[in-house]
Amino acid sequence: MTQPIDESIYTAVTVAIQAEAQRILSEGLVTAVVGYASARRKGSTQPIVITDAALAEKLIFTPACVNNLAVYLTKAKKEIPKTGRIGIVVKGCDLKALVGLMGESQLKREDLYLIGVPCIGVLGSIIQPDTAFTSDSIAPKCRECDAHLPLGCDFVPSQQPITPELEKKYAAEIDRLEAMTPAERWAYWKEQFSKCIKCYACRQVCPFCFCEQCLCDRNKPQMVETTPRPAGNFAWHIVRAMHLTGRCAGCAECERACPMDIPLNLLNRKMAKELKDLYEYEAGFEVNAKGPLTMFTEKDDQSFIK
Amino acid sequence: MHTEKPKNSFEPKIIAFVCTWCTYAGADLAGTSRMQYPSNVRVLKFPCTGRIDPVFILKAFQQGADGVLVSGCHPGDCHYIAGNFHARRRFAAFRKLLEFIGVDLNRLQFSWVSAAEGGKWVEVVTDLTERVRSMGPMVEFKELAMEEQWSGTIDTPELKEAYNQI
Repeated sequence: MTQPIDESIYTAVTVAIQAEAQRILSEGLVTAVVGYASARRKGSTQPIVITDAALAEKLIFTPACVNNLAVYLTKAKKEIPKTGRIGIVVKGCDLKALVGLMGESQLKREDLYLIGVPCIGVLGSIIQPDTAFTSDSIAPKCRECDAHLPLGCDFVPSQQPITPELEKKYAAEIDRLEAMTPAERWAYWKEQFSKCIKCYACRQVCPFCFCEQCLCDRNKPQMVETTPRPAGNFAWHIVRAMHLTGRCAGCAECERACPMDIPLNLLNRKMAKELKDLYEYEAGFEVNAKGPLTMFTEKDDQSFIK
Repeated sequence: MHTEKPKNSFEPKIIAFVCTWCTYAGADLAGTSRMQYPSNVRVLKFPCTGRIDPVFILKAFQQGADGVLVSGCHPGDCHYIAGNFHARRRFAAFRKLLEFIGVDLNRLQFSWVSAAEGGKWVEVVTDLTERVRSMGPMVEFKELAMEEQWSGTIDTPELKEAYNQI
């Protein structure tokens, strides 16, 4: 049943973000603020970098603010962090990505001024940015979000996010796939991966895919076929999921950016679930110098090893 | 001397990724001790199990392996102190991923074989070979490699006509 979600909290959040951005820019605390601004289409938003306090009123927050802005600090606009301390608007899931990047020494906490957003969720797709925000149009990641209120930010508007309980789609889908036989799962993924056109949008949009040269672009040796043939697609998606294991913050940007609607985040969620079972690791708000796959304990499970 | 083998019977291809300090030496011991084990196994020597990237396993399957064995030093015996501990976590995660994608995990074996365990090497290799032999060839990845076309099914009349005109 479709039920509308009350998004009125975002009006107050927008005002608070604008005031805070205006303050920190005019006081010289930061040299730039990365946030969201409205775009040309009605209801749509786009990321924006503001360096002038007078422009702070451009900043907004709405359910259409889907992007994970952390990506602007690692690769898309690598020159931004070099200009000085940066203010950045973060949702809970984006903050988890930033925390992961800090753990991997890609960013320093003292170089950032975090403006947290009390978040009740964003839209699943912004192809129609003007869609009403309901229990149907909400992003699947927000249905099972445990980070509505980001922790450890420099500034968080005082509004409290009140979220309705929704059915957990990823968890249900993972359970459905796990109940299948290997052959059925193979058939499922074969159909999904055969849609892939190797546009690498999932890689471009991922804050953790920051390698200067991706393994999948190398041809000496060529470990992964670059052409969008079924064999190469399988290899790419397996390698992508493996390289994000224990790092992925679950922002689901890969899935949103995918033009062929491949359920990429399903793989990431599954691996996150496994790592929680195996090593009690979960992406969170605490900076860890070592991820679950870069550390070990002597008591790790080895029941699968003969 | 040699028993007559039926023609075209399936002989599994097994790729073994082994560490040079323990399992390779263990396999060497099995050889010098004149122990018999299936010749289906192709041994690839690595400095350490920590050097074995999951993508190697993937590549092995894509290139036609029916089974893959990864073997190294027992925990605590690593020549590089902790390489096998890291490998253990990595492969624990990787096999879960492969399982979720739909690969039968019976084709993938991990083991610890020390330099003194020639007998265990024989046992591990024989077990895996016989298991894979009973399962038949690994067709999934080979079928993928045979498919030349990009996904898109030619299902509309316009596309069919355009395709026929090529």
